[in-house]
Amino acid sequence: MNTIKGLLLKDLYVFRNFKGNIIFSIIMFIILIAIGSMQNDIFTIGSILFLIFFGMNSISSFSYDENADSDKYLLSLPTTRKDIVLSKYLFVFLNSFISILVGILVSFIITILVRGKVANLGDSLRICFLAFTSVSFLMCANVPCIYKWGVEKGRMQSVIIPALFIFLLGMFGSILLLLFPQIYLNIDLLYVFKISPYICLVLNILFYVISYLISYRIFLKKSI
Amino acid sequence: MEYNLEVINLTKNYQDFNLKQINIKLPTGKIIGLIGENGSGKTTTIKAILNLMTYDKGSIKIFGKDSINLTKKEREQIGIVLDDSFFSPILNVNDINKLMKDFYSNWNEKLYYDTIKKFKIPCNKPLKEFSSGMKMKIKVLCAIAHEPKLLILDEPTNGLDPIFRYEIIELFNNFVSNGENSILMTTHITSDLEHLADEIIFIDEGSIILDVPKDKIDNEYGIIELLEDDLTKIKKEDYLKCLKYKNECYILVNPKDEFHKKYSKLDVRKPTLEEMMLMLVKGE
Repeated sequence: MNTIKGLLLKDLYVFRNFKGNIIFSIIMFIILIAIGSMQNDIFTIGSILFLIFFGMNSISSFSYDENADSDKYLLSLPTTRKDIVLSKYLFVFLNSFISILVGILVSFIITILVRGKVANLGDSLRICFLAFTSVSFLMCANVPCIYKWGVEKGRMQSVIIPALFIFLLGMFGSILLLLFPQIYLNIDLLYVFKISPYICLVLNILFYVISYLISYRIFLKKSI
Repeated sequence: MEYNLEVINLTKNYQDFNLKQINIKLPTGKIIGLIGENGSGKTTTIKAILNLMTYDKGSIKIFGKDSINLTKKEREQIGIVLDDSFFSPILNVNDINKLMKDFYSNWNEKLYYDTIKKFKIPCNKPLKEFSSGMKMKIKVLCAIAHEPKLLILDEPTNGLDPIFRYEIIELFNNFVSNGENSILMTTHITSDLEHLADEIIFIDEGSIILDVPKDKIDNEYGIIELLEDDLTKIKKEDYLKCLKYKNECYILVNPKDEFHKKYSKLDVRKPTLEEMMLMLVKGE
């Protein structure tokens, strides 16, 4: 457990390097959300902006490791390949999770202060959770590409693979719609939206577990 | 004899390079110097020992146990310096201390900071602002501050000036002085091994071409400098290698006493490791 803590701490120190940028960006976001809230309720947009802007920064920790060739050194310490991959996934997850939490908290406080209340809080939170799941999908598609090709070489694949996956999923949905149109007519979209947090929870777990297993397999076979 | 490290018939085949039947036996209290040209297979051997890559044949034992099956506790008994790999350069000495405390249950914070003080390394500066010598000092310190039994060092004196090198060599000598610790060290700065190594293993093109105790090199090998014309007076079977340079000729002999008996007029002197390396690779 201490090893995982050490590995997480190592990645956290990377963030300290752009501490100034993060603080400046947070202040700018707070100002923008406050100005936007005067016109409309932008609680959801504000929260999601935080997630997108800060939640995907964890990739930079891979760059720092790659530049210093740290994996070689880390593996010569009493760590295992499993520890390294696991700590990376924990870091990616925690970074996205904390980003959306902070986004929600900041947007909530500003909206309450400016507008007095958040309209449809439950629905807004559901949308935030859907956005979080989308980011999880992108990150979970990215990480195995990084392990396979490296940060720089894997950049293209990190875009192509999730896009291809979404395209195939869309094609599959379209074929289903053509073959069985009655299924879609019977779907209660409102109900699906209501239970979406549970669906998202399952999807998040699936994304992270599958992605972790793929990355671990890749890393296990890799000569460092 | 107890061995901290045993490499037995290590073989690895790449498309353009093969590591062939590498054998290393590192007893407790000893230092082995692994020398050779760049690309000769030194770092590949180290990588195999550290399980950073798979190998095709052979076995590696650390503390008498297959290196793949070492427990975390046993791995804590190994200290590593890798020439080209370390923590991110944005970390500072204090950050590294905090990390290492998590990696090693026996991390000696006092030893770490005492040596940091002795080496006059600033604690709050990121590594990227240090010279390569300073960085190497921190790497070496990270390898010894958890008081391991075995040090595996890949080019630990690279980038160091002579004073730094002296300090680090002194550190290594102290490390093995308890008779239980051992060091395997690769270097191409062979002069560092002159007063440090107990045994020299010379790798060339993936094969061991020389594996001798350092004393044997000092006592049995000899080098003779002569003019090219004088070479004809020496029988080919009386020397091992000959290296011609301009009008001069250098010959490597073993055993030097026998050679001296035959050719008493020629001055035979002790070869340096660098000369040995040069003669064995480039000599005819």
